[in-house]
Amino acid sequence: MIQSFLSYLHSNVTPGEAGSLPWVVIYVLLVFLGISVGVIFMNWFERKVMAHMQVRLGPMRVGPMGLLQPVADAIKLLLKEDLAPTGADKLVFWFAPIWVVMTAFCSFIVVPFGRTHAITDMNIGVLFMLGVSSLGVLGVIMAGWASNSAYPLLGSLRSGAQMVSYEIAMGMSVISAIMMTSMATGTGTLSMIGIVQAQLQQHRWFVFSFFPLGLIAMGVFSIAMVAETNRAPFDLPEAESELVAGFMTEYSGFRWSLFFLAEYTAMFGVSSIATTLWLGGWLRPFPNLLAGPNWELAFSLVPGLSVIVLGALCLFRYTRMPRIREMRPEAVGLAVFGAMLGLLGLVQLLPGVRERVQDIFWFTLKVFFFMYLYVWYRTTFPRYRFDQLMKIGWKVLLPISIGVVIATALIAVRQELFALVWR
Amino acid sequence: MKVGELLKKIFLVDLFKGLAVTFRHQHPEHVVTEQYPLERPKIAPRFRGMPRLLKNPDGSDRCTACGACVLACPEDLIKVGSVRDEKTKKKVLTTFDFDLGRCLFCGLCEEACPPECLDFTTEFEMGLYSREGTVLNRQQLEDGVQRKEFKK
Repeated sequence: MIQSFLSYLHSNVTPGEAGSLPWVVIYVLLVFLGISVGVIFMNWFERKVMAHMQVRLGPMRVGPMGLLQPVADAIKLLLKEDLAPTGADKLVFWFAPIWVVMTAFCSFIVVPFGRTHAITDMNIGVLFMLGVSSLGVLGVIMAGWASNSAYPLLGSLRSGAQMVSYEIAMGMSVISAIMMTSMATGTGTLSMIGIVQAQLQQHRWFVFSFFPLGLIAMGVFSIAMVAETNRAPFDLPEAESELVAGFMTEYSGFRWSLFFLAEYTAMFGVSSIATTLWLGGWLRPFPNLLAGPNWELAFSLVPGLSVIVLGALCLFRYTRMPRIREMRPEAVGLAVFGAMLGLLGLVQLLPGVRERVQDIFWFTLKVFFFMYLYVWYRTTFPRYRFDQLMKIGWKVLLPISIGVVIATALIAVRQELFALVWR
Repeated sequence: MKVGELLKKIFLVDLFKGLAVTFRHQHPEHVVTEQYPLERPKIAPRFRGMPRLLKNPDGSDRCTACGACVLACPEDLIKVGSVRDEKTKKKVLTTFDFDLGRCLFCGLCEEACPPECLDFTTEFEMGLYSREGTVLNRQQLEDGVQRKEFKK
Protein backbone atom coordinates (compact mmCIF):
# COMPACT_ATOMS: atom_id res chain seq x y z
CA MET A 1 0.00 0.00 0.00
CA ILE A 2 2.66 2.50 1.11
CA GLN A 3 4.95 1.09 -1.53
CA SER A 4 2.47 1.80 -4.29
CA PHE A 5 1.79 5.21 -2.76
CA LEU A 6 5.45 6.18 -2.83
CA SER A 7 6.22 4.55 -6.16
CA TYR A 8 4.14 7.21 -7.90
CA LEU A 9 6.77 9.80 -7.02
CA HIS A 10 9.19 8.13 -9.44
CA SER A 11 6.69 7.76 -12.25
CA ASN A 12 6.37 10.25 -15.04
CA VAL A 13 2.63 10.32 -15.54
CA THR A 14 -0.35 12.01 -13.96
CA PRO A 15 -1.93 10.29 -10.95
CA GLY A 16 -5.02 9.50 -13.01
CA GLU A 17 -2.97 7.63 -15.58
CA ALA A 18 -0.97 5.89 -12.88
CA GLY A 19 -4.22 4.76 -11.30
CA SER A 20 -3.10 5.84 -7.87
CA LEU A 21 -6.25 6.80 -5.95
CA PRO A 22 -4.61 8.47 -2.92
CA TRP A 23 -2.54 10.68 -5.19
CA VAL A 24 -5.61 11.60 -7.19
CA VAL A 25 -7.30 12.70 -3.97
CA ILE A 26 -4.20 14.68 -2.98
CA TYR A 27 -4.08 16.35 -6.38
CA VAL A 28 -7.77 17.18 -6.29
CA LEU A 29 -7.31 18.84 -2.91
CA LEU A 30 -4.18 20.63 -4.09
CA VAL A 31 -5.90 21.95 -7.21
CA PHE A 32 -8.91 23.04 -5.17
CA LEU A 33 -6.65 24.79 -2.69
CA GLY A 34 -4.53 26.37 -5.41
CA ILE A 35 -7.51 27.70 -7.35
CA SER A 36 -9.10 29.05 -4.17
CA VAL A 37 -5.90 30.85 -3.24
CA GLY A 38 -5.73 32.12 -6.82
CA VAL A 39 -9.28 33.45 -6.57
CA ILE A 40 -8.46 35.17 -3.28
CA PHE A 41 -5.36 36.66 -4.84
CA MET A 42 -7.25 37.76 -7.95
CA ASN A 43 -9.79 39.53 -5.76
CA TRP A 44 -7.01 41.69 -4.34
CA PHE A 45 -5.10 41.96 -7.60
CA GLU A 46 -8.08 43.03 -9.67
CA ARG A 47 -9.06 45.76 -7.25
CA LYS A 48 -5.50 46.98 -6.97
CA VAL A 49 -4.73 47.01 -10.70
CA MET A 50 -8.10 48.50 -11.55
CA ALA A 51 -7.56 51.20 -8.96
CA HIS A 52 -4.14 52.06 -10.28
CA MET A 53 -5.39 52.19 -13.86
CA GLN A 54 -8.10 54.58 -12.68
CA VAL A 55 -5.45 56.61 -10.82
CA ARG A 56 -6.73 55.52 -7.43
CA LEU A 57 -5.04 53.66 -4.63
CA GLY A 58 -7.27 50.64 -4.14
CA PRO A 59 -7.24 48.60 -0.93
CA MET A 60 -4.75 50.19 1.46
CA ARG A 61 -5.92 49.77 5.03
CA VAL A 62 -6.43 46.06 5.67
CA GLY A 63 -2.96 44.68 5.99
CA PRO A 64 0.11 46.01 4.23
CA MET A 65 -0.82 47.23 0.74
CA GLY A 66 -4.34 45.94 1.45
CA LEU A 67 -3.17 42.36 1.12
CA LEU A 68 -5.62 41.13 3.73
CA GLN A 69 -8.60 42.80 2.04
CA PRO A 70 -9.94 39.53 0.55
CA VAL A 71 -9.83 37.95 4.01
CA ALA A 72 -11.83 40.83 5.44
CA ASP A 73 -14.28 40.53 2.54
CA ALA A 74 -14.68 36.81 3.11
CA ILE A 75 -15.40 37.30 6.81
CA LYS A 76 -17.92 39.99 6.00
CA LEU A 77 -19.65 37.77 3.44
CA LEU A 78 -19.84 34.80 5.81
CA LEU A 79 -21.36 36.95 8.54
CA LYS A 80 -24.06 38.34 6.25
CA GLU A 81 -27.61 37.09 6.47
CA ASP A 82 -28.48 34.36 4.04
CA LEU A 83 -31.68 35.52 2.40
CA ALA A 84 -34.04 33.75 0.07
CA PRO A 85 -36.85 35.78 -1.49
CA THR A 86 -40.50 34.86 -0.84
CA GLY A 87 -41.88 32.66 -3.54
CA ALA A 88 -38.45 31.49 -4.58
CA ASP A 89 -38.04 27.87 -5.54
CA LYS A 90 -35.95 27.06 -2.46
CA LEU A 91 -34.39 23.84 -3.70
CA VAL A 92 -33.28 25.24 -7.05
CA PHE A 93 -32.32 28.53 -5.44
CA TRP A 94 -29.95 26.74 -3.10
CA PHE A 95 -28.68 24.31 -5.66
CA ALA A 96 -27.80 26.87 -8.35
CA PRO A 97 -24.64 28.33 -6.76
CA ILE A 98 -23.43 24.86 -5.83
CA TRP A 99 -23.94 23.73 -9.41
CA VAL A 100 -22.06 26.71 -10.80
CA VAL A 101 -19.12 26.11 -8.47
CA MET A 102 -19.12 22.38 -9.20
CA THR A 103 -18.96 22.81 -12.96
CA ALA A 104 -16.32 25.52 -12.67
CA PHE A 105 -14.06 23.32 -10.57
CA CYS A 106 -14.79 20.12 -12.55
CA SER A 107 -13.11 21.49 -15.64
CA PHE A 108 -9.82 21.51 -13.75
CA ILE A 109 -9.73 17.71 -13.81
CA VAL A 110 -7.92 17.77 -17.14
CA VAL A 111 -5.93 20.99 -16.86
CA PRO A 112 -2.24 20.10 -17.07
CA PHE A 113 -0.18 22.28 -14.73
CA GLY A 114 2.80 20.21 -15.81
CA ARG A 115 3.51 16.91 -17.49
CA THR A 116 2.82 15.09 -14.23
CA HIS A 117 0.76 17.79 -12.56
CA ALA A 118 -2.75 17.11 -13.77
CA ILE A 119 -5.41 15.12 -12.00
CA THR A 120 -5.74 12.97 -15.07
CA ASP A 121 -5.07 13.00 -18.76
CA MET A 122 -8.19 12.47 -20.81
CA ASN A 123 -8.03 11.73 -24.51
CA ILE A 124 -10.99 14.11 -24.97
CA GLY A 125 -9.56 16.74 -22.65
CA VAL A 126 -10.45 19.92 -24.55
CA LEU A 127 -13.91 18.63 -25.37
CA PHE A 128 -14.44 17.76 -21.71
CA MET A 129 -13.34 21.22 -20.58
CA LEU A 130 -15.50 23.08 -23.07
CA GLY A 131 -18.47 20.84 -22.29
CA VAL A 132 -18.22 21.10 -18.54
CA SER A 133 -17.54 24.81 -18.49
CA SER A 134 -20.57 25.45 -20.68
CA LEU A 135 -22.71 23.46 -18.23
CA GLY A 136 -22.19 26.39 -15.88
CA VAL A 137 -24.78 28.38 -17.82
CA LEU A 138 -27.38 25.93 -16.52
CA GLY A 139 -26.61 27.03 -12.96
CA VAL A 140 -26.89 30.66 -13.99
CA ILE A 141 -30.28 30.04 -15.56
CA MET A 142 -31.38 28.08 -12.49
CA ALA A 143 -30.34 30.96 -10.26
CA GLY A 144 -32.24 33.49 -12.36
CA TRP A 145 -35.34 31.34 -12.62
CA ALA A 146 -35.52 30.30 -8.98
CA SER A 147 -35.08 33.83 -7.63
CA ASN A 148 -38.69 34.72 -8.51
CA SER A 149 -37.61 38.20 -9.47
CA ALA A 150 -37.55 40.07 -12.75
CA TYR A 151 -33.94 41.28 -12.85
CA PRO A 152 -32.32 37.90 -12.17
CA LEU A 153 -34.52 36.26 -14.78
CA LEU A 154 -33.59 38.82 -17.43
CA GLY A 155 -29.94 38.54 -16.45
CA SER A 156 -29.90 34.78 -16.68
CA LEU A 157 -31.68 34.81 -20.04
CA ARG A 158 -29.09 37.22 -21.38
CA SER A 159 -26.37 35.06 -19.93
CA GLY A 160 -27.77 31.97 -21.60
CA ALA A 161 -28.02 33.63 -25.00
CA GLN A 162 -24.55 35.11 -24.69
CA MET A 163 -22.83 31.93 -23.58
CA VAL A 164 -24.43 29.85 -26.32
CA SER A 165 -23.45 32.40 -28.99
CA TYR A 166 -19.85 32.73 -27.97
CA GLU A 167 -19.41 29.02 -27.42
CA ILE A 168 -19.48 28.54 -31.18
CA ALA A 169 -16.76 31.04 -31.99
CA MET A 170 -14.76 29.59 -29.11
CA GLY A 171 -15.18 26.04 -30.38
CA MET A 172 -14.16 27.04 -33.91
CA SER A 173 -10.96 28.67 -32.77
CA VAL A 174 -10.22 25.63 -30.61
CA ILE A 175 -10.67 23.42 -33.66
CA SER A 176 -8.01 25.33 -35.57
CA ALA A 177 -5.57 24.76 -32.72
CA ILE A 178 -6.43 21.09 -32.57
CA MET A 179 -5.82 20.76 -36.31
CA MET A 180 -2.37 22.17 -35.72
CA THR A 181 -1.58 19.31 -33.31
CA SER A 182 -1.63 16.88 -36.21
CA MET A 183 1.06 18.70 -38.17
CA ALA A 184 4.19 16.84 -37.08
CA THR A 185 2.80 13.43 -36.29
CA GLY A 186 -0.09 13.19 -38.71
CA THR A 187 -2.53 12.36 -35.96
CA GLY A 188 -4.12 15.09 -33.90
CA THR A 189 -5.12 14.88 -30.29
CA LEU A 190 -7.73 16.37 -27.98
CA SER A 191 -5.78 15.53 -24.86
CA MET A 192 -4.59 18.63 -23.06
CA ILE A 193 -1.22 17.05 -22.34
CA GLY A 194 -0.99 15.80 -25.92
CA ILE A 195 -1.59 19.29 -27.27
CA VAL A 196 1.28 20.73 -25.25
CA GLN A 197 3.55 17.89 -26.29
CA ALA A 198 2.64 18.53 -29.91
CA GLN A 199 3.79 22.12 -29.45
CA LEU A 200 7.05 20.82 -28.03
CA GLN A 201 7.54 18.54 -31.02
CA GLN A 202 6.71 21.24 -33.53
CA HIS A 203 9.19 23.60 -31.87
CA ARG A 204 6.73 26.44 -31.55
CA TRP A 205 3.71 27.58 -29.62
CA PHE A 206 0.54 27.44 -31.65
CA VAL A 207 0.18 31.25 -31.42
CA PHE A 208 3.02 31.45 -33.91
CA SER A 209 1.90 28.55 -36.07
CA PHE A 210 0.91 29.57 -39.60
CA PHE A 211 1.41 33.16 -38.65
CA PRO A 212 -0.95 35.01 -38.25
CA LEU A 213 -3.59 32.26 -38.16
CA GLY A 214 -2.67 31.04 -34.69
CA LEU A 215 -2.62 34.60 -33.42
CA ILE A 216 -6.04 35.34 -34.89
CA ALA A 217 -7.45 32.14 -33.41
CA MET A 218 -6.07 33.06 -30.01
CA GLY A 219 -7.44 36.57 -30.38
CA VAL A 220 -10.90 35.24 -31.18
CA PHE A 221 -10.68 32.84 -28.27
CA SER A 222 -9.51 35.50 -25.86
CA ILE A 223 -12.41 37.72 -26.81
CA ALA A 224 -14.92 34.87 -26.70
CA MET A 225 -13.70 33.72 -23.32
CA VAL A 226 -14.37 37.14 -21.83
CA ALA A 227 -17.94 36.88 -23.05
CA GLU A 228 -18.15 33.27 -21.93
CA THR A 229 -17.29 34.14 -18.33
CA ASN A 230 -19.60 37.19 -18.31
CA ARG A 231 -16.84 39.65 -17.68
CA ALA A 232 -16.59 43.29 -18.70
CA PRO A 233 -17.00 44.54 -21.43
CA PHE A 234 -19.42 41.69 -22.05
CA ASP A 235 -20.89 41.61 -18.55
CA LEU A 236 -24.42 42.20 -19.80
CA PRO A 237 -25.95 39.55 -17.49
CA GLU A 238 -24.82 41.50 -14.45
CA ALA A 239 -24.90 45.00 -15.89
CA GLU A 240 -25.39 46.94 -12.70
CA SER A 241 -26.79 50.01 -14.41
CA GLU A 242 -29.59 47.95 -15.95
CA LEU A 243 -30.11 44.75 -14.02
CA VAL A 244 -28.87 45.52 -10.49
CA ALA A 245 -26.57 42.49 -10.37
CA GLY A 246 -28.24 40.18 -12.88
CA PHE A 247 -28.73 36.61 -11.79
CA MET A 248 -26.93 37.28 -8.51
CA THR A 249 -29.35 40.01 -7.40
CA GLU A 250 -31.26 37.94 -4.86
CA TYR A 251 -28.23 36.17 -3.47
CA SER A 252 -26.38 37.33 -0.42
CA GLY A 253 -23.67 36.22 1.93
CA PHE A 254 -22.20 32.80 1.42
CA ARG A 255 -24.20 31.93 -1.69
CA TRP A 256 -23.16 35.12 -3.38
CA SER A 257 -19.54 34.35 -2.56
CA LEU A 258 -20.01 30.94 -4.19
CA PHE A 259 -21.01 32.71 -7.40
CA PHE A 260 -18.00 34.94 -7.05
CA LEU A 261 -15.75 31.92 -6.55
CA ALA A 262 -17.30 30.22 -9.57
CA GLU A 263 -16.85 33.27 -11.77
CA TYR A 264 -13.15 33.55 -11.02
CA THR A 265 -12.65 29.79 -11.23
CA ALA A 266 -14.26 29.83 -14.66
CA MET A 267 -11.92 32.65 -15.63
CA PHE A 268 -8.96 30.55 -14.53
CA GLY A 269 -10.44 27.59 -16.43
CA VAL A 270 -10.79 29.27 -19.80
CA SER A 271 -7.46 31.01 -19.33
CA SER A 272 -5.81 27.65 -18.84
CA ILE A 273 -7.48 26.33 -22.00
CA ALA A 274 -6.05 29.28 -23.90
CA THR A 275 -2.64 28.77 -22.30
CA THR A 276 -2.61 25.08 -23.13
CA LEU A 277 -3.78 25.51 -26.69
CA TRP A 278 -1.75 28.51 -27.79
CA LEU A 279 0.88 29.46 -25.28
CA GLY A 280 2.52 26.09 -24.84
CA GLY A 281 1.01 25.14 -21.51
CA TRP A 282 3.68 24.28 -18.99
CA LEU A 283 6.58 24.58 -21.45
CA ARG A 284 9.31 27.00 -20.46
CA PRO A 285 10.39 29.61 -23.01
CA PHE A 286 12.43 28.11 -25.86
CA PRO A 287 12.49 24.46 -24.69
CA ASN A 288 14.18 23.35 -27.91
CA LEU A 289 16.27 26.33 -28.93
CA LEU A 290 17.91 26.83 -25.55
CA ALA A 291 18.27 23.18 -24.68
CA GLY A 292 21.16 21.52 -22.89
CA PRO A 293 21.99 20.99 -19.22
CA ASN A 294 23.14 24.56 -18.60
CA TRP A 295 20.01 26.18 -19.96
CA GLU A 296 17.97 23.50 -18.24
CA LEU A 297 19.55 24.44 -14.91
CA ALA A 298 19.19 28.17 -15.54
CA PHE A 299 15.50 27.94 -16.34
CA SER A 300 14.75 25.59 -13.47
CA LEU A 301 16.21 28.15 -11.06
CA VAL A 302 13.83 30.87 -12.24
CA PRO A 303 10.74 29.85 -10.19
CA GLY A 304 12.63 29.62 -6.91
CA LEU A 305 14.52 32.83 -7.54
CA SER A 306 11.41 34.78 -8.48
CA VAL A 307 9.68 33.65 -5.29
CA ILE A 308 12.75 34.72 -3.33
CA VAL A 309 12.64 38.11 -5.06
CA LEU A 310 8.99 38.44 -4.00
CA GLY A 311 9.98 37.64 -0.43
CA ALA A 312 12.80 40.17 -0.61
CA LEU A 313 10.31 42.80 -1.85
CA CYS A 314 8.12 42.07 1.17
CA LEU A 315 11.10 42.49 3.49
CA PHE A 316 12.00 45.73 1.71
CA ARG A 317 8.48 47.00 2.24
CA TYR A 318 8.83 45.99 5.89
CA THR A 319 11.77 48.36 6.31
CA ARG A 320 9.68 51.14 4.74
CA MET A 321 6.69 50.61 7.04
CA PRO A 322 6.08 53.47 9.47
CA ARG A 323 7.37 52.80 12.97
CA ILE A 324 4.12 53.33 14.82
CA ARG A 325 2.69 51.07 17.47
CA GLU A 326 -0.59 50.64 15.56
CA MET A 327 1.23 49.39 12.46
CA ARG A 328 3.38 46.94 14.40
CA PRO A 329 1.30 43.76 13.79
CA GLU A 330 1.02 44.55 10.09
CA ALA A 331 4.74 45.17 9.76
CA VAL A 332 5.67 41.99 11.60
CA GLY A 333 3.12 40.05 9.55
CA LEU A 334 4.63 41.37 6.35
CA ALA A 335 8.13 40.46 7.50
CA VAL A 336 7.05 36.93 8.43
CA PHE A 337 5.26 36.59 5.11
CA GLY A 338 8.37 37.71 3.26
CA ALA A 339 10.54 35.30 5.23
CA MET A 340 8.14 32.45 4.46
CA LEU A 341 8.20 33.32 0.77
CA GLY A 342 11.99 33.30 0.87
CA LEU A 343 11.96 29.89 2.55
CA LEU A 344 9.51 28.60 -0.08
CA GLY A 345 11.83 29.91 -2.78
CA LEU A 346 14.80 28.14 -1.19
CA VAL A 347 12.82 24.88 -1.09
CA GLN A 348 12.07 25.31 -4.78
CA LEU A 349 15.78 25.55 -5.51
CA LEU A 350 16.37 21.99 -4.22
CA PRO A 351 17.34 19.72 -7.13
CA GLY A 352 14.53 17.20 -6.64
CA VAL A 353 11.87 19.86 -6.24
CA ARG A 354 12.87 22.35 -8.91
CA GLU A 355 12.38 20.00 -11.86
CA ARG A 356 8.86 19.21 -10.71
CA VAL A 357 7.85 22.73 -9.73
CA GLN A 358 9.02 24.71 -12.72
CA ASP A 359 6.23 23.37 -14.95
CA ILE A 360 3.65 24.73 -12.55
CA PHE A 361 5.47 28.06 -12.42
CA TRP A 362 5.48 28.63 -16.17
CA PHE A 363 1.87 27.51 -16.51
CA THR A 364 0.77 29.84 -13.72
CA LEU A 365 2.68 32.70 -15.27
CA LYS A 366 0.92 32.24 -18.60
CA VAL A 367 -2.50 31.90 -17.00
CA PHE A 368 -1.71 35.02 -15.03
CA PHE A 369 -1.14 36.87 -18.29
CA PHE A 370 -4.71 36.12 -19.32
CA MET A 371 -6.03 37.06 -15.90
CA TYR A 372 -4.25 40.39 -16.24
CA LEU A 373 -5.89 40.81 -19.66
CA TYR A 374 -9.29 40.32 -18.02
CA VAL A 375 -8.60 43.13 -15.56
CA TRP A 376 -7.12 45.28 -18.27
CA TYR A 377 -10.18 44.87 -20.51
CA ARG A 378 -12.45 45.61 -17.60
CA THR A 379 -10.88 48.97 -16.85
CA THR A 380 -10.52 49.99 -20.47
CA PHE A 381 -13.66 49.10 -22.35
CA PRO A 382 -17.19 50.33 -21.73
CA ARG A 383 -19.96 47.75 -21.75
CA TYR A 384 -21.47 46.77 -25.09
CA ARG A 385 -25.15 46.99 -25.82
CA PHE A 386 -26.80 43.59 -26.07
CA ASP A 387 -27.40 43.75 -29.82
CA GLN A 388 -23.79 44.86 -30.33
CA LEU A 389 -22.71 41.89 -28.27
CA MET A 390 -24.72 39.52 -30.44
CA LYS A 391 -23.44 41.24 -33.57
CA ILE A 392 -19.84 40.76 -32.49
CA GLY A 393 -20.46 37.15 -31.61
CA TRP A 394 -22.33 36.05 -34.73
CA LYS A 395 -21.24 38.49 -37.42
CA VAL A 396 -17.60 39.07 -36.55
CA LEU A 397 -16.07 36.38 -34.37
CA LEU A 398 -17.88 33.41 -35.90
CA PRO A 399 -16.96 34.18 -39.55
CA ILE A 400 -13.39 34.97 -38.55
CA SER A 401 -13.00 31.75 -36.61
CA ILE A 402 -14.54 29.66 -39.39
CA GLY A 403 -12.23 31.42 -41.85
CA VAL A 404 -9.28 30.57 -39.63
CA VAL A 405 -10.34 26.94 -39.48
CA ILE A 406 -10.62 26.74 -43.29
CA ALA A 407 -7.34 28.55 -43.85
CA THR A 408 -5.54 26.34 -41.33
CA ALA A 409 -6.89 23.23 -42.97
CA LEU A 410 -5.90 24.43 -46.45
CA ILE A 411 -2.38 25.35 -45.37
CA ALA A 412 -2.00 22.13 -43.44
CA VAL A 413 -2.73 20.01 -46.49
CA ARG A 414 -1.10 22.34 -49.03
CA GLN A 415 1.44 19.75 -50.18
CA GLU A 416 -1.26 17.19 -50.88
CA LEU A 417 -3.27 19.92 -52.61
CA PHE A 418 -0.35 20.92 -54.83
CA ALA A 419 0.31 17.30 -55.63
CA LEU A 420 -3.31 16.93 -56.65
CA VAL A 421 -3.27 20.05 -58.81
CA TRP A 422 0.08 19.47 -60.51
CA ARG A 423 -0.39 15.78 -61.19
CA MET B 1 -15.44 54.20 -45.96
CA LYS B 2 -11.84 55.02 -46.61
CA VAL B 3 -9.20 52.33 -46.65
CA GLY B 4 -7.41 53.79 -43.66
CA GLU B 5 -10.54 53.77 -41.56
CA LEU B 6 -11.30 50.23 -42.62
CA LEU B 7 -7.83 49.05 -41.64
CA LYS B 8 -8.21 50.92 -38.36
CA LYS B 9 -11.41 49.02 -37.71
CA ILE B 10 -10.00 45.65 -38.69
CA PHE B 11 -6.91 45.91 -36.55
CA LEU B 12 -8.88 47.37 -33.62
CA VAL B 13 -6.54 50.35 -33.45
CA ASP B 14 -8.80 52.38 -31.21
CA LEU B 15 -9.21 49.56 -28.74
CA PHE B 16 -5.44 49.13 -28.50
CA LYS B 17 -5.08 52.87 -27.99
CA GLY B 18 -7.47 52.66 -25.08
CA LEU B 19 -5.56 49.74 -23.64
CA ALA B 20 -2.34 51.71 -23.93
CA VAL B 21 -3.86 54.63 -22.05
CA THR B 22 -4.95 52.50 -19.11
CA PHE B 23 -1.63 50.65 -19.13
CA ARG B 24 0.34 53.88 -18.94
CA HIS B 25 -1.68 55.20 -16.03
CA GLN B 26 -1.30 52.24 -13.75
CA HIS B 27 2.00 53.33 -12.29
CA PRO B 28 1.35 54.03 -8.60
CA GLU B 29 3.11 57.37 -8.97
CA HIS B 30 0.17 58.70 -10.96
CA VAL B 31 -2.21 58.17 -8.07
CA VAL B 32 -3.85 61.42 -7.06
CA THR B 33 -5.78 60.12 -4.06
CA GLU B 34 -5.18 62.21 -0.94
CA GLN B 35 -4.61 59.94 2.04
CA TYR B 36 -6.42 62.27 4.39
CA PRO B 37 -5.28 61.79 7.95
CA LEU B 38 -1.74 61.11 6.78
CA GLU B 39 -1.67 63.77 4.09
CA ARG B 40 -3.42 67.06 4.69
CA PRO B 41 -5.17 68.98 1.95
CA LYS B 42 -3.77 72.31 0.86
CA ILE B 43 -6.29 74.89 1.99
CA ALA B 44 -6.40 78.45 0.71
CA PRO B 45 -5.75 81.08 3.39
CA ARG B 46 -9.10 82.72 2.69
CA PHE B 47 -10.86 79.58 3.89
CA ARG B 48 -13.02 80.29 6.95
CA GLY B 49 -12.58 77.50 9.48
CA MET B 50 -12.06 77.37 13.21
CA PRO B 51 -12.18 80.92 14.72
CA ARG B 52 -9.28 82.16 16.73
CA LEU B 53 -8.48 85.11 18.94
CA LEU B 54 -5.04 86.42 18.08
CA LYS B 55 -2.77 88.08 20.64
CA ASN B 56 -0.09 90.67 20.24
CA PRO B 57 3.42 89.36 19.69
CA ASP B 58 4.35 90.41 23.25
CA GLY B 59 1.54 88.27 24.66
CA SER B 60 -0.85 91.05 25.62
CA ASP B 61 -4.49 91.06 24.49
CA ARG B 62 -5.05 92.47 21.07
CA CYS B 63 -8.81 92.39 21.53
CA THR B 64 -10.10 95.71 22.78
CA ALA B 65 -13.51 94.33 23.75
CA CYS B 66 -15.14 96.90 21.51
CA GLY B 67 -18.02 94.62 20.67
CA ALA B 68 -17.95 95.26 16.92
CA CYS B 69 -18.05 91.54 16.26
CA VAL B 70 -21.11 91.16 18.50
CA LEU B 71 -22.88 93.81 16.47
CA ALA B 72 -21.75 92.36 13.17
CA CYS B 73 -22.78 88.79 13.92
CA PRO B 74 -26.07 87.96 12.16
CA GLU B 75 -26.66 85.06 14.57
CA ASP B 76 -25.85 86.90 17.78
CA LEU B 77 -23.65 84.10 18.92
CA ILE B 78 -20.68 86.06 20.21
CA LYS B 79 -20.73 87.16 23.82
CA VAL B 80 -18.01 89.54 24.93
CA GLY B 81 -17.52 90.30 28.60
CA SER B 82 -15.31 93.17 29.72
CA VAL B 83 -14.43 95.37 32.68
CA ARG B 84 -13.28 99.01 32.65
CA ASP B 85 -9.74 99.47 33.81
CA GLU B 86 -9.84 102.27 36.43
CA LYS B 87 -6.41 103.67 35.59
CA THR B 88 -6.36 103.72 31.81
CA LYS B 89 -10.13 104.01 31.39
CA LYS B 90 -9.97 101.34 28.75
CA LYS B 91 -12.07 98.21 28.39
CA VAL B 92 -10.27 94.97 29.27
CA LEU B 93 -11.50 91.67 27.87
CA THR B 94 -12.62 89.14 30.47
CA THR B 95 -14.70 86.52 28.62
CA PHE B 96 -15.26 85.77 24.98
CA ASP B 97 -17.81 83.08 24.09
CA PHE B 98 -18.22 81.91 20.53
CA ASP B 99 -21.05 79.48 19.78
CA LEU B 100 -19.82 77.33 16.91
CA GLY B 101 -23.09 75.38 16.87
CA ARG B 102 -24.89 78.35 15.37
CA CYS B 103 -22.06 79.91 13.44
CA LEU B 104 -22.48 80.04 9.67
CA PHE B 105 -18.89 81.09 9.01
CA CYS B 106 -19.91 84.21 7.12
CA GLY B 107 -16.81 86.02 8.34
CA LEU B 108 -18.61 89.31 9.10
CA CYS B 109 -17.16 89.39 12.61
CA GLU B 110 -13.69 88.91 11.25
CA GLU B 111 -14.19 91.84 8.89
CA ALA B 112 -15.73 94.01 11.57
CA CYS B 113 -12.90 93.50 14.04
CA PRO B 114 -10.94 96.80 14.25
CA PRO B 115 -7.67 95.38 15.69
CA GLU B 116 -8.00 92.35 13.40
CA CYS B 117 -7.66 89.93 16.27
CA LEU B 118 -10.62 87.68 15.48
CA ASP B 119 -9.46 85.36 12.72
CA PHE B 120 -10.88 82.39 10.90
CA THR B 121 -8.11 79.80 10.54
CA THR B 122 -7.84 77.07 7.93
CA GLU B 123 -8.51 74.44 10.59
CA PHE B 124 -11.53 72.42 9.47
CA GLU B 125 -11.71 69.47 11.87
CA MET B 126 -14.46 70.65 14.18
CA GLY B 127 -16.45 67.44 14.51
CA LEU B 128 -17.97 66.70 17.93
CA TYR B 129 -19.98 63.87 19.39
CA SER B 130 -22.35 66.17 21.32
CA ARG B 131 -23.39 69.81 21.47
CA GLU B 132 -21.49 70.25 24.76
CA GLY B 133 -18.30 71.55 23.24
CA THR B 134 -19.75 73.81 20.58
CA VAL B 135 -19.45 76.96 22.67
CA LEU B 136 -15.81 77.99 22.69
CA ASN B 137 -14.56 80.08 25.57
CA ARG B 138 -11.78 82.63 25.52
CA GLN B 139 -9.11 80.15 26.52
CA GLN B 140 -9.97 77.75 23.67
CA LEU B 141 -10.13 80.56 21.16
CA GLU B 142 -6.74 81.87 22.17
CA ASP B 143 -5.02 78.46 22.27
CA GLY B 144 -6.51 77.10 19.07
CA VAL B 145 -7.08 73.37 18.52
CA GLN B 146 -4.43 70.82 19.21
CA ARG B 147 -4.38 68.60 16.13
CA LYS B 148 -3.37 64.93 16.28
CA GLU B 149 -0.56 64.36 13.84
CA PHE B 150 -0.38 61.20 11.75
CA LYS B 151 2.69 59.88 10.08
CA LYS B 152 2.56 58.29 6.68
